[in-house]
Amino acid sequence: MRIVRSTFRKIVRRPASWVTAGLVAALLVLEFVALGATARSSAARPVEQATITAFLKFPDTYVTVASQLIGLGGLFALAYAAAVAGSEWGWGTLKTAVARGESRWRYMLLTLFGLVLAAAVAMVAAYAVGVVAAVLGASIAGVPLTGLGDSDALLNIPQTLLHVWLAIAEEMAVGFAVATLTRSQLAGVGAGIALFFGEQFATLILPDVVKYLPFNAASAVVARANLAGAGAPAALPPDQATLVTIAWLLGALLLVAGATERAEIGS
Amino acid sequence: MTIALAVHGLRKAYGSRVALDGLDLEVPTGTVYGFLGPNGAGKTTTMRLLVGLIRPDAGTLEVLGRPYTWHDRHRLFDVGALIEAPSFYPFLSGRENLRAAAASGAPVPRGRVDELLGLVGLRDRAGDKVGGYSLGMRQRLGIAAALLSDPSLLLLDEPANGLDPGGIVGMRDTLRQLAAAGKTVFVSSHILPEVQQLADVVGIVASGRLVREGRVDELLASSAVVRARVGADEAPAAQAAAAARFGAEAVGVTAGGDGTWLEVRTDGSRSAELNQVLAQAGVYVSRLEPGSDLESLFLELTGGGSANGGGLGIGGVA
Repeated sequence: MRIVRSTFRKIVRRPASWVTAGLVAALLVLEFVALGATARSSAARPVEQATITAFLKFPDTYVTVASQLIGLGGLFALAYAAAVAGSEWGWGTLKTAVARGESRWRYMLLTLFGLVLAAAVAMVAAYAVGVVAAVLGASIAGVPLTGLGDSDALLNIPQTLLHVWLAIAEEMAVGFAVATLTRSQLAGVGAGIALFFGEQFATLILPDVVKYLPFNAASAVVARANLAGAGAPAALPPDQATLVTIAWLLGALLLVAGATERAEIGS
Repeated sequence: MTIALAVHGLRKAYGSRVALDGLDLEVPTGTVYGFLGPNGAGKTTTMRLLVGLIRPDAGTLEVLGRPYTWHDRHRLFDVGALIEAPSFYPFLSGRENLRAAAASGAPVPRGRVDELLGLVGLRDRAGDKVGGYSLGMRQRLGIAAALLSDPSLLLLDEPANGLDPGGIVGMRDTLRQLAAAGKTVFVSSHILPEVQQLADVVGIVASGRLVREGRVDELLASSAVVRARVGADEAPAAQAAAAARFGAEAVGVTAGGDGTWLEVRTDGSRSAELNQVLAQAGVYVSRLEPGSDLESLFLELTGGGSANGGGLGIGGVA
């Protein structure tokens, strides 16, 4: 627990933590406000307006915000986790821990666990900001807020957030694993983001394969509304996506543990 | 005499480059051991092997009296190490960095962090971010981090790097006190005067092998030299007179930009005797320098340059 507590303290003191969380929250606000404004200005285009209106209509928007959080927040969480793992190698702090007799795999996995715990706090905060932004967007678009107090939807929020957390944890673990392999902060972040977007592009070519890949599977753990409508790529059903996401998460953890344990730490 | 640290036949290669080629050494408990060698001689590789950062290709290690292998990490709970440059989180303060280090490995007693910050003279700057620390301050913090668990064996890789003269004296005093308290200090360095003042025992490594090991006073005695500056035309007479008293094999003459020097391999306490012998021979010296010549011994043993073939040998390294 000492390592988890220490990781938490480091996260709080690390400027990148606040920048990352702030960017996710700001982009969520921007997205929903922009959608509201677009819906308002597209009155002459009924199809487009209907799609956006559905996107902003509570209580479904509770889940929509969650799915946006996986996509947007997941990308930032991946980059952040890669930066943390890469800096452990680059700054030599892993070396210090190993020289103090700490278990390599334990140190890295507990560091990741600390990150994932902190991500839960950030996720809840960002979700709250996202819901407020969605309310704002709906108001701008003139979408009624009658579903806002839907008790079933409100009761489902904790479970939805648990799924979001799982998805974000998996994306963080993948970023962490990539940076562990590259042993570099910059290379880890770069490779992680490249992997993320590479998978999105590959969806156009091999959708039936790509839906099993880590980021697509993570995005599908929450049944989502999609602005692309019928043109959206095929996604796994949420239950299946959850299992695939857990598998990727475990695979990434094994990769981190194995790569760290076998590594020769030279600097 | 108990042995705190021993390696036998240690070998490590990085690809085709052999860093250690059958290194053997033994470090007695309660001593300060100076591990000397030119750049690339294998000092840091040895340090990395001792704390399990890398694996040996062959050979055995014993730490604190018991065999030590790659996975025997709990043994390191009683070892403190500063390997290469100190490693810290730049966005944390000095105090927070020590707390972060204390969160891994051996348990650290409460209050130890502040005690160490005082010991290394960083108490006033403990709240400042490490990103703003000078090289010397980082080095002090690195030494504090190595001492966190009050280790029985301390491994320090070039600990004087970046320290100002006051910091070097303070570090030397601290390490001597630790050795006096029964702890073992293993210090790698290429700064010969520093090691000469600090270490009880010295091991000189070159091309991955130990080429000389012994107590500093014994090495200094074996390499002691008295130099006398004489006139160039008086050198033959001076050499003959000195050879008659000290033996021909102990006497030599060198000439350079700073004049002609008669060099006699003998203890510094015989400087006056040499002066008298030369005066009796009618040679009056303009300068007399008794002293040991660990540097000459070092250069002789290590081939006079860095192991990677660079032109900057140990003598040229600050």
